[in-house]
Amino acid sequence: MLFFQSLISGLLSGGVYALAGIGMSLVFGVMNVSNFAHGDLMMLGMYMAYFAFTLLHIDPYLSLVLIMPVSFMIGYILEKLFIGRVIHHPHQNQILLTIGLGLIMSNSALLAFTSDPRILTTSYSSSSFTILNDISVSVPLLLSFLITCGITAILYLFLAMTRTGMALRATSQNRDAAQLMGINVSKMSAITFGIGTALAATAGALIAPTYYIHPLAGHTFLLKAFTICVLGGLGSVIGATVGGLIIGVVEAMSSAYLSTDWKDVVVFALFLAVLLFRPQGLFGKKGDQ
Amino acid sequence: MSGHLLHIDHVSKHFGGNVAVSEVSFSVDKKQIFGLIGPNGAGKTTLFNCITGYYPVTSGQIAFNGSSINNRRPDQVCRLGMARTWQRVKPLCSLSVLENVMVGAFASTNSPRKAEAFARDQLTAVGLDDHAGKPAGSLPIGLKKKLELARVLATRPKMLLLDEICGGLNHTETEIILEIIRKLRSSGITIVFIEHDMRAVTSICDRIVVLNSGQKLAEGTPAEITSNPAVIAAYLGGGHNAQD
Amino acid sequence: MKQLTICAVLVIAAIALPLLIGNNPYLIGILITLLMMATLASAWNIVGGYAGQFSFGHAAYFGAGAYTTMILLSLFNTNPLVGMAAGIGVACLIALVTGSIVFRLRGHYFALASIAVAEIVRLTVLNLGFTGGAQGILLTDVPFFGLDLNSKSPFYYGMLLTLVVTLGITAYLRKSKTGYYLQAIREDQDAAASLGINVALYKNRALLLSAVLTSIAGSIYALYIRFIDTSAVLDLRLSIEIILTTIIGGVGTLWGPLLGAVLLVPLAEVLRSNLLGDTLFRLGVVSESSPVGIFLKDGLAHGHVLVYGIITVLCILYLPKGILGLFRRGK
Repeated sequence: MLFFQSLISGLLSGGVYALAGIGMSLVFGVMNVSNFAHGDLMMLGMYMAYFAFTLLHIDPYLSLVLIMPVSFMIGYILEKLFIGRVIHHPHQNQILLTIGLGLIMSNSALLAFTSDPRILTTSYSSSSFTILNDISVSVPLLLSFLITCGITAILYLFLAMTRTGMALRATSQNRDAAQLMGINVSKMSAITFGIGTALAATAGALIAPTYYIHPLAGHTFLLKAFTICVLGGLGSVIGATVGGLIIGVVEAMSSAYLSTDWKDVVVFALFLAVLLFRPQGLFGKKGDQ
Repeated sequence: MSGHLLHIDHVSKHFGGNVAVSEVSFSVDKKQIFGLIGPNGAGKTTLFNCITGYYPVTSGQIAFNGSSINNRRPDQVCRLGMARTWQRVKPLCSLSVLENVMVGAFASTNSPRKAEAFARDQLTAVGLDDHAGKPAGSLPIGLKKKLELARVLATRPKMLLLDEICGGLNHTETEIILEIIRKLRSSGITIVFIEHDMRAVTSICDRIVVLNSGQKLAEGTPAEITSNPAVIAAYLGGGHNAQD
Repeated sequence: MKQLTICAVLVIAAIALPLLIGNNPYLIGILITLLMMATLASAWNIVGGYAGQFSFGHAAYFGAGAYTTMILLSLFNTNPLVGMAAGIGVACLIALVTGSIVFRLRGHYFALASIAVAEIVRLTVLNLGFTGGAQGILLTDVPFFGLDLNSKSPFYYGMLLTLVVTLGITAYLRKSKTGYYLQAIREDQDAAASLGINVALYKNRALLLSAVLTSIAGSIYALYIRFIDTSAVLDLRLSIEIILTTIIGGVGTLWGPLLGAVLLVPLAEVLRSNLLGDTLFRLGVVSESSPVGIFLKDGLAHGHVLVYGIITVLCILYLPKGILGLFRRGK
């Protein structure tokens, strides 16, 4: 039973990880930028959900309707002001720039919100129900998972069906060729970073009811998001989805069978193993590395 | 076998489902200037990358100086005496012209002083001595091509693989490079030469292999090649490629 | 020759400095931190600046030196020099594992994998028993050849020596075959390989050398502070601070890392000790109990990382070659 319990809770939290991973992978695919501020953007999402709940009394899941457009705009502006200007720089400069932006965000949050962790307690925060006799399913995790599925599906449809989505995929395949075909690649970059930010903030908001909200919370999620991306193949949206679920399950399993202390070590070891044996990721094309 | 410096035996290279090079065979003799021509996408650069260890071959054998170099790394291939230049030049931009050539010279010495002296000789040989102190990234394309040449010469190669060393150059510059290549051959270096420019190739090569769509289309002397109907068809069929 | 004279003067000045500022332990403490950051940045610069391999996990090598020395001291009362040597061994091991996994790959992967390795090291130390876990390791008495280790000056000179050695190695490397090979790898890996350079081998050599120097600094730091925990010596933040110091001074230059430390360490100290706030309070410009005053006292004191962030962003956008790059336009 322990196995199924871990599997269920792993998959549920993995869904939210996947959302964060997809955002990062999209940015990597279209812009070829490793976004080290991704975790801090998640942290912003957590605080947005928190303040929407405490100040405006909006349910955290409902507040997504606000958080997504707002964070999209934040991402769009960040790209226009900063990231877009280093898109042709060596990747180290991009990494450092996003690290710098991340430090500014997390430490501004530290100044504004202090280092006291906050907890967003909704009426259903700790409620759960039981299936198959004794496997408990946490209500907020399940809700987050379902919302994640919805958003992921919409994103797929957007990428597959709309003009902008197709232009994004074209830019991701070959930036120069896309530009020659008349696609405004710099606008595509800004849109991508906007979507990436919106996904990060959404992931943050979705875990806010079940997690400590803290200015430095982004750090942990950043590394998780990277692991997910590399596992799935940097740039692959499907890969990130599966990668997120795998990481969720691996975490839950290692908490159950090893100990909670070692679960991150297992995740990072998995990350290195992927680099060692399949650097293009589970879904990446060979030769990408 | 004794005369062959490079022996390519039924070499193929596939990328997933794409066949870039298919069952190509030929041999290059010592002190030859050997031309490898063909329209864009014929697989010339891919073949170079296979020979010099950048791509593993899918099948076939590559032998240099009598021994197989199939699974050698690029740096090992270079140390065996086979050096290459790049179609899209790869100067070490933030290093000076002299330092670029010194990096090549370190293949045969550990002493910076000896490397520098030898590098200066190579710069003189290609006529770049006036530019020794400039950052390599600041050179115009014609001089960058010369730098590529000086840099590989500094590794003391037995054989040079030149990938469109005249690409993007005007007529005078091309003539200068061709003259350098002739001198290199008379100093004992074997040369394999990828080129689009038919005139350059036919004027300098002893023997030519024509690739088309990854396959060997023809092999022979420049006169045989230029009168070969299949080659003419391939070049005319390939549109304007012969000109660029 | 002129350069050599300047170096000699600098070293002599650095040796004389503690005598000039007398027994001010506060100032000597800042100077030790400065020398340490300069050493760490210079050591990182060998692999990050010259070979162009941005390691985001150098805290692991620093921590390897610090933890190995302290664990051996606290458990077996080992001579600190032996501990330092053992620390070098551990750092080399970590470097070899990292290098063999990722130096076949390019670009983003090395950065990501170096973080993963460092995080594994950090979490392992945090979760194991003999490493002191989250409590860290505290030592009150360090025996060392009868030297008075309660004074700070031995550590000042130890750190100074490490820095001089690191800069000396860098200066030698720069004009040697290995140095040129590393720079060739940084500029273009394929071109480097085509010139006969065993790319993976030279990257590994650079990482090993860098790891060794970093771990020595870690050992000295641990003996000096006598208290270490994972957040002080193994955190990702330390790795990032090392990189920033190098970038701001000038990456891939001999003096850039030292310059970066000279600029950043005092700046961090000013912010941390809230010099600005105190001055304003003393001048009566701002009242200590006003909202601005509270912000200055509570907020800005923790604000040095924020300032680092702002400097990084400005630096990458406007000064990607660092301060030294300003004086080397065109190169």
